[in-house]
This record gives sequence, C-alpha cells and structure tokens, in this order.
Amino acid sequence: MKVLKEAKRRYDQIPIPDRLHTMVLETLQSTGRPYIPAMEKSFLLKKRPRPARYIAAAAAMFFLLFTTALNTSPVFAQEAGELPVIGGIVRLLTFRSFSQEQDGIGIDVNIPSIEGIAEDTGTSDAVNEEIYRLCSQYAEEAMQRALDYRQAFLDTGGTLEQWEAHHVRIQVDYEIQSQTKQHLSFVVRGTESWSNAYRETRYYTLDAQTGEAITLSDVLGEDYAALVNQSIRTQIAQREESGEIDFWEISEGGFDGISGDTQFYLNDAENPVIVFEPYKIAPGSYGEIEFEIRSEK
Amino acid sequence: MKQDLYQTVVNHILENQDQFYRLAFSYAKKKDDALDIVQNAICKALAHSGALREPRAVKTWFYRILIHESLAFIQKREKETPADPGDEREFPYVEMSYTDTGDLFEFINALEPDSREIIKLRFFEELSLREIQEVMGLNLNTVKAKLYRGLKHLKQSVGEEWQ
Repeated sequence: MKVLKEAKRRYDQIPIPDRLHTMVLETLQSTGRPYIPAMEKSFLLKKRPRPARYIAAAAAMFFLLFTTALNTSPVFAQEAGELPVIGGIVRLLTFRSFSQEQDGIGIDVNIPSIEGIAEDTGTSDAVNEEIYRLCSQYAEEAMQRALDYRQAFLDTGGTLEQWEAHHVRIQVDYEIQSQTKQHLSFVVRGTESWSNAYRETRYYTLDAQTGEAITLSDVLGEDYAALVNQSIRTQIAQREESGEIDFWEISEGGFDGISGDTQFYLNDAENPVIVFEPYKIAPGSYGEIEFEIRSEK
Repeated sequence: MKQDLYQTVVNHILENQDQFYRLAFSYAKKKDDALDIVQNAICKALAHSGALREPRAVKTWFYRILIHESLAFIQKREKETPADPGDEREFPYVEMSYTDTGDLFEFINALEPDSREIIKLRFFEELSLREIQEVMGLNLNTVKAKLYRGLKHLKQSVGEEWQ
C-alpha cells in the first residue's frame, strides 16, 4: 500500500492551471442564473402564505417603523409613552440599528431590546445582554467571512465589478412572532446572502406581565419532552404520509427527540410551536420546519 | 427552496474545483482536455441541479457526473483519434513527469472500468465505501469485490515494490 500512498501524494501535486479558476467562475456566471442568489429574497419568500403570517408580518413591520420612529424622535417617544399598550408591560424596541457598505459588502443590523414599560424590574437585562452579544458577534464574524470570501474571489480571477454585482449582504434582524396579553414571542436572525451555512436563529418567549423568559416546561409541565416528542413523531408520520416532507431517518441524523436547545415560540393560540432549522431533521430545501404542539384539553 | 439546492451545487463546485480538475486530469492526462471535462461537468450539474434531491448528496452526485464526463470524453477522443500509432505520442505522460509512480497511474488507468474508478475514488479522493457505492450505483459487496480485484491486479503489475 506504500505505493498507493506515494501515488496519492503525487496525485495531490498535479499542478492546477491558473485558467481553471477563471473558467469555473465564468461557467458559473454564464448559466444565466444569479450566481449568488440574494438571501433577502428567499428569506422573504420563505414566509409561508398563511393569513396569520401576513398579519404577523404586517404587525412586525408596523412595530419596526414604530420603534424606528421611537428611536429617532424624542417627541414621538414622549407621545408613545402616553399611548395605551396592548398586552402586558413589556415591549420590544430597536435598541441599536445601523447600515453600512464596505468593499461591496452591505450590512444591516437591527438589535432589539426588551423594555419594561414601567421602567422597573431588570428581569430582562440578562436576555438583553445575551441578544446584544449574539447580534454583534454574528455581525462581526459575518463581516470577516465576507471579507475572506471577497479576497478569495479576487485572488481566483474575479474582478471588482463582478464582485459588486453579487450584492453580498449581511442581515441581523428580529421579528415578532406573536404578541398577546400573556406573552411576547420574537425571533432574532442573522443571515448571509451567499451562504446558508452560517445562518443563526434564536427564538425568545417572555411573559408579558413579568418580562421573565418562558420555557417549554412552564407551558407544558415537567413532562414536556415526552409530550413534545410524541406529538412531533405523530406529525412527522402524517407529513411523510401526505408526501409533504421527506424527513431523514434517525440513522441519517433525523429527529431523535428534542434537546435542551430546542427552539420554540408561542403562537396566538398560546400553543408552543417547535422550530427546526434547515438541515436539522430534513433536507435543507424544506427550510425551517415547524410543529405546533396542541394541548389536549 | 430550489435556490438553496442551486446554491449548494455552486458552493460545492467553488470549494472543490481543484480536486475535480485532478480527477479529470487523471483520465485525460492533458491540461486542456481536463479543463474541458470539468467545464462540461459544471454545466451538466447546474442544468440538472433540480435532480439533486437533498443537499447532503451533492458530493457523490457531482462525482458521478464528473466521472461520467471523464469517461465520455476519453471515449470520444479515442474514437476521433485515427488509429495511427504516431498519434499515440500526442498523449504521453510527461506532464506529470513521474518516474516510478507514473507507472502506477498507468496501471490504474489500465484496470477494468469499474475497478479503476473505485480505486481512484478510494485512494485519491478518499471516499468511504458507502460514498463510492452511491457514486457508482453499485451495491456494497460489488464495490468491495471490484476494489479488491483491482488491487490484486495492481499488485501483480507493480510486482516486488508493492508493500
């Protein structure tokens, strides 16, 4: 086998012609499809066309505008303080927001922060700190990845114009999933337009009265894991049956019970919805997969 | 949704282009021909990215296309080349300028078709037997049998130096 090892070493030394990289890039570009599809688009399109979703999105949009105005106008903030707030005593504001363009890389960051309306407590401070840390860390790392990618692109024969044409974007943003008198659920996402490998999603659910984080065991009781697992297994079987989703087997890395870092939010009906990131339990082409856990009453 | 798969294919090509070239070169033995093979494989892959059912299969899926293109290319080249022995010297093994192991590459290329692919995938591309099974569309026992048969032939060709 020594001979084969030596052969492998030589094989790895087969010289790569300079033209290869240019040819690959040109071939990729000449296919007429966007060479690097814009993530923002698929990101928006991924919203499933359920009416409830549209309302939630519209509400989130309103909230976004609202908070932006709040951040920029002291007068507006003062007046808003007088407005009756639907729900409990907590609300979500854009704590920090910035956009920047550098070397053809766009970055948009909106970092939310939970505020107690009566300016009290401090229960949400830990969550706020975590959100802030996660968002800034993601933005920083994504920027570095984009710069590395740019360098690699230019090194392999790409021109600056071609690079600009890719519209590489980094986005850190949040979205309110649902808000009722009892709770506030929102999601913070980091995405990169050129790759799905580094997307990050974190769901938060808070008690709207106290501002405390709500866990699955708060909602479903101590036996939540068994309950959730059973419900998910039933739903997986149903969806496979109907041909909606082709889940992976356990041996392929498919669903094998929820773990401590399972992500969820509460929907308008106060039911927990478990969310799996793309690739977690099924092929990534299905996107995020959700399971509503209906309590059996 | 589709966009995800397309992106997976594009990323895979960008990240592994050097390897693809080497494998193509091991068949074509000529720089320009190897480049052509890789280009054809990329075009095929992009045109048929919809046929890729799940992103995780992209590695074996692309190897299947690349090997298919390599074999089709050398077959076509052999046909187009007149059976003039003088022309044979158009494709010498000089570009790699290997002394002893150069022969081994020749021996591998001279193996029967499936064994040749399996040995290249196993030892040069370092695929697992399971991955090779997917690339070749053969069952595991067949892959193993062809691998060992290939190794046995190589051992015979190399002779004493085989350790």
